[in-house]
Amino acid sequence: MTLDFSILLRFQDALALGLWMTIKLTLICVVLGCSLGFVIGLARTSRSTLLRAASSIYVEFFRGTPVLVQLFWIFFCLPLILGVELSNLTSGVIALTLYMGAISSETFRASLKSIGPEQLDACVALGLPRRVQVTSVVLPQAVLRAVPTLLSNCVSLFKESALVSAVGMADLMFVGQNISNNTARPVEVLTVVALIYFVIAFPLTRAVTLIERRVLTKLAI
Amino acid sequence: MDYSFDFQSVSFGPLWDGLIVTLQLTIAANLIGIVLGFPLALLIMSRFAPARLPAMLFVEFFRCTPAIVQIVWFFYCVPMLFNVFLGSMTMGILALGLNLMAFNAEAYRAAIQAVPREQLDAGIALGLNPVQRTLYIVLPTAVRASIPVLLTNGIGIFQQSALVAIVAVQDLMYQAKSLATETYRPIETFTIVALIYFAVSFPVSQIVGYLERRRQLMMS
Repeated sequence: MTLDFSILLRFQDALALGLWMTIKLTLICVVLGCSLGFVIGLARTSRSTLLRAASSIYVEFFRGTPVLVQLFWIFFCLPLILGVELSNLTSGVIALTLYMGAISSETFRASLKSIGPEQLDACVALGLPRRVQVTSVVLPQAVLRAVPTLLSNCVSLFKESALVSAVGMADLMFVGQNISNNTARPVEVLTVVALIYFVIAFPLTRAVTLIERRVLTKLAI
Repeated sequence: MDYSFDFQSVSFGPLWDGLIVTLQLTIAANLIGIVLGFPLALLIMSRFAPARLPAMLFVEFFRCTPAIVQIVWFFYCVPMLFNVFLGSMTMGILALGLNLMAFNAEAYRAAIQAVPREQLDAGIALGLNPVQRTLYIVLPTAVRASIPVLLTNGIGIFQQSALVAIVAVQDLMYQAKSLATETYRPIETFTIVALIYFAVSFPVSQIVGYLERRRQLMMS
C-alpha cells in the first residue's frame, strides 16, 4: 500500500481543535487534581480515623479500577444519581480530576513522609512555633520533592485524557478517529495522532529526569 | 433522587465470561512483558548504538503515547501495513504485551543498574564470561529487586486491558457496556464491574505494598 501523509494537511484545523481540547482538559484537571491531591494527602495523615478511612477508600478505589470504567460511571451514572444533566466537558473534568487527585495524593503523602523526624526535632530545639514549622520547614521541602512525581503524574493524565474520546468528547483522539474513518486512511491519521501525543509527552518525561537529577541535587534535599 | 436500584437485573453470566477474557489478556500480556522486558532492558543499556537506539525509541514511544492510541493503531494499522490478519484476541494480547514490555524494560533497567559493582567484579575475578555474569549474577538479583514494580505494572495492564473493549474484544468492560445498554441499568452494571476490577487489583496492590515494606526493612 502507498502512504500519503499530505491528506492530513486538509484536516490540520480539526486536529488543532482536538489538540486544544486535550490540552485544556489536561490543564484544568492538573490544577484541580493537584489541589485535591494535596488536601487528600493531608487527610490520609490526619489524626481523625474517619478522615483517614474516607480518604483511603477514595484513593484505593480510584487506583484500583480502570480509568475507562471511572469515566463511564461518571458519564452515565452520575447524571442519573444527581438528576441533572452534565455537559461532556464537566463530566470529563470531574472524572480526570478525581483520578489525578487520587494518584497525586499518594505523591504528596510520600513526600510528606520523607521529611525526617530529626528536622522536626531541630524545629523544637530552635523553638519554632508549629505554624512556622509547617510553612517554612515541612511545606517547601514536601512540595519540591513532590515536583518530579507530580510532573510524571501530569504526563499520565495527559495520556489518560485520550480516553474521553470513548465517551464522545471531541479531543485529539476523537478527531483523529473520525478523520481516519471518513478518509479510510487509518495508518497515516492514527500515526500522526500518536506522534502528536509523543511530541508533547516525551519532552515532559525528559524534564522529569532533568529535574530529578539537577534541581534536587543542587538544592541538596 | 428518585432512582430505585435493581441489582437483580444485572446477569452475572456475561460478566463472568468477560472477566475470564480480561484475565486471559492480562496473563498473556504479562508473560510477554516479563519475559521479553529483560532482553529489551539489556538492549537499552547496550554500548552498541544500533542496538540501543531502536530499543530506546520503542520504549519511549510506548511510554509517551496513550495506551488507547496504541491499541486503536494496532487494530487498524497492523493488518494494513503488514498484511497480517490475526484474531482480535491475539491482537489485544500483542498490543497490551508490547506496551507492558516497554514499561517492564524500564523497571528491569533500574534494577540492573542497582546491582552492586562489587558483585560484577567478583564475577570477573571468578572467571565468568559476560553471558554467565548476566545469567547468574545480574538476572537473579535484578529480577528479585524489580518484582514490586513488575507486579504494579502487571496490575496496570489488567486495568488498561479494559481499553480493548473499544475495539470490540469481548472483555469485562465490553460485556458491561452491552449489558448496560440492554438492561438500561448503567448504574448497577458499572458499579458491579468497577467492584470486580477493584476486587482483583486491590489484593495485588496490597501484596506490592507488603513486599516493598519488607524490602525496606531488609535494606535497613
